[in-house]
Amino acid sequence: MTSKYYEFFCPVKVIAGKAALEHIPYELTALAAKRPMIITDKGVRAAGLLDPVIAACEESGIEIVSIYDDVPPDSSTTVVRAIAGIYRKEKCDSIIAVGGGSAIDTGKAVNILVSEGGDDVAKYTGSGIIKKALKPFFVVPTTAGTGSEVTSVAVITDEAKSVKLPFSSPFLLPNAAIIDPRMTLTLPPHITAATAMDALTHATESFTCIAKNPLSDAYAAAAIKKISTSLLKVMDNPKDTNGRLDLAEASTMAGIAFSNSMVGLVHSLGHATGAICHLPHGLCMSLYLPYVLEYNLETIREPLGELLLYLEGPEVYSATPSSRRAEASISAIRKLRDALYKRCQLPRTLRETGKVLESQLDLIAKAALDDGSIMFNPKEVTLADARTVLRRAWA
Amino acid sequence: MLAKRIQPMALHARRLYVELMFQVMGRALQAVSEVDADVQEEALVLPEGFLFEIMVMPSGPRLIVEYTGQGRFHYHGESAPRSVDVSIQFKHIAHAFLVLSFQEKTSQAFANDRMLVDGDISYAVRMTRILNRLETFILPKLIAKRAVKEYPESLRLPQKMISAARIYLKVATNFVETVKA
Repeated sequence: MTSKYYEFFCPVKVIAGKAALEHIPYELTALAAKRPMIITDKGVRAAGLLDPVIAACEESGIEIVSIYDDVPPDSSTTVVRAIAGIYRKEKCDSIIAVGGGSAIDTGKAVNILVSEGGDDVAKYTGSGIIKKALKPFFVVPTTAGTGSEVTSVAVITDEAKSVKLPFSSPFLLPNAAIIDPRMTLTLPPHITAATAMDALTHATESFTCIAKNPLSDAYAAAAIKKISTSLLKVMDNPKDTNGRLDLAEASTMAGIAFSNSMVGLVHSLGHATGAICHLPHGLCMSLYLPYVLEYNLETIREPLGELLLYLEGPEVYSATPSSRRAEASISAIRKLRDALYKRCQLPRTLRETGKVLESQLDLIAKAALDDGSIMFNPKEVTLADARTVLRRAWA
Repeated sequence: MLAKRIQPMALHARRLYVELMFQVMGRALQAVSEVDADVQEEALVLPEGFLFEIMVMPSGPRLIVEYTGQGRFHYHGESAPRSVDVSIQFKHIAHAFLVLSFQEKTSQAFANDRMLVDGDISYAVRMTRILNRLETFILPKLIAKRAVKEYPESLRLPQKMISAARIYLKVATNFVETVKA
C-alpha cells in the first residue's frame, strides 16, 4: 500500500485575461449581489485602477455603493471594524477587494464581521472557527506576487495588543479572483521584480518542500515557466500586456501551489527579516531563495533539477547532465537576480539592502526557527544552520 | 468471517497502543526536561504555566504537559487544570497510530494534514522540536530516523545511552508512583 497522501483544495473561480474586469457584474448577479462595496488603498485609487472596475459595473447597471480607500499597508482590527460599520450602514451585500495583500486580507476580515456579526474580529482568529459560507467576495489583485486571492488565510494586526492575528478558513477564499492585465500595467519596476520573485519563491518552495504533491507541482511548474519567460520582458517593456498577464497568472498559480503544499526556510527567514528589519516580503524572498536552495540541495536535488526545464527551457535542460541540473537551476535563479539588479537594483544580499545590520543576523536566525513554515522545509534547520545561511546571504 | 471478528480487536489494540504511547510520551517529556540542557533551553521561552496538549479528535486519547519554569515540564495525564494554550490534534486515531508507530514522521504528518495546531504556531514548532529531541534519545537510532526529519549526527552513542537510561528510569518511576497513588 502506498504511503503517499495529500490534500488539494482550491474552489476559487479564476477569471483571467483581456476584459476580465467586465465579468464582475455577471459574477455579482450570479450570486444575487446588487450592492457591492470596494475595499482598496489610496495608492490603487490614485493610480486610477478603480476606474475600470467602477466603469465595468456601472455599464451593467450595478452601482458601487461604497468605496473604502484607506487600507494601510499593515491592516488592523480597528480598520476592519470601521469598514464593517460602513458596510452595514450602507446596506452593502458583497465585497470587492482591489489591491495587494493588505487590501485583500482586510477584505477577508471584513467579510468575517459582516457575515458572522459583531465588532470584534479577534474572536474569529485561528483555524476552523468559521463554519459557514460568508458574503459574496471578489478579489482583483493589483500586484503579481502574493497569491492572496487564492489563499484561505488573512493576517490582521491587533493594535491594542501589538500582535498579528492569523485567520484561517476555507470560507475566507473569494468566490472569484479577477486577473486583468490592466491592473498591473503601471506597477513600478522594483515592485514588479520583487513581487514576481515572491511568486517564483512560492512556486519553488512549493515544488521542493515536504508537502509537495502532484497537483501543486503542476501549478508550481507552470508558474515558474511563465515567470522565467516573461519577467525580464516586462522589466524591459512594462506595457507588455501579455507579459503582465503571464506574471499575474503565475502569481495566482504559485498561490494555489503554495497554499496546498506550504513553503519552507526562505519564508521562515523572510518573515523574520520582515518583522525585525521591515524589509518588503518580496525582496526578502528574492534575497534568500538561492542561499536556501543551496542549503537544502542534497535533500531536494531531484525536484530542483526538474525545475531547470521550466527555468531555462528544453534546450538547456537536455544539454545539462542530470547530475548537474539542480546546481544549474540555482544558477538560473542567480542569473535572473543579477538581471533584475541590473535593471532596478533589486538587492541580492542583505548588505545590498542597506537596511540590515550584521548584528541583527542572530536575532533573525532565532526568530526564523519559530516560524511555522520551517516545519515544511525538507531539512531540519538548527540555529547554527540558520546562522550559516544568513551569513552567506549577508554579502 | 475471521477477519470480521479480528477487525474490532485490532482497532481496540490500536487505540490501546496510542493511549499507552501518550502516557509514555507525557512522562518522557517531563523526564527529558529534567535531564537535557538543550530541551531546557528550548523550553525557556515558554510562559510559565503554559499548557500543551496532544490529542486525537474528537475526544480520543490525549496527553497534557505544563511548563513549570526553569526548562521543566510536568505531566498532567489526560486532564488539564484549565484550558490548554496549544493543542496538536490528530484528525483520527489511525493518523496518531501512523506517527506513534513510526510509520510516518511527525513533520510529514503535519505536511500530510493528519493533524491541526490550535494555538500559537511558534510554540507548536518549539514543542515539536522538543518532541523530536526526546525521540532521538529514547528510540534506537534506526527507529528514531523514521520518526524525525533528520537524526542529529552530533548525538553520540554514550550521550544517547546515558540520557535514554535516565529518561526511562524516570518514566518507570513515574508509572510506579501513579499506580501507587
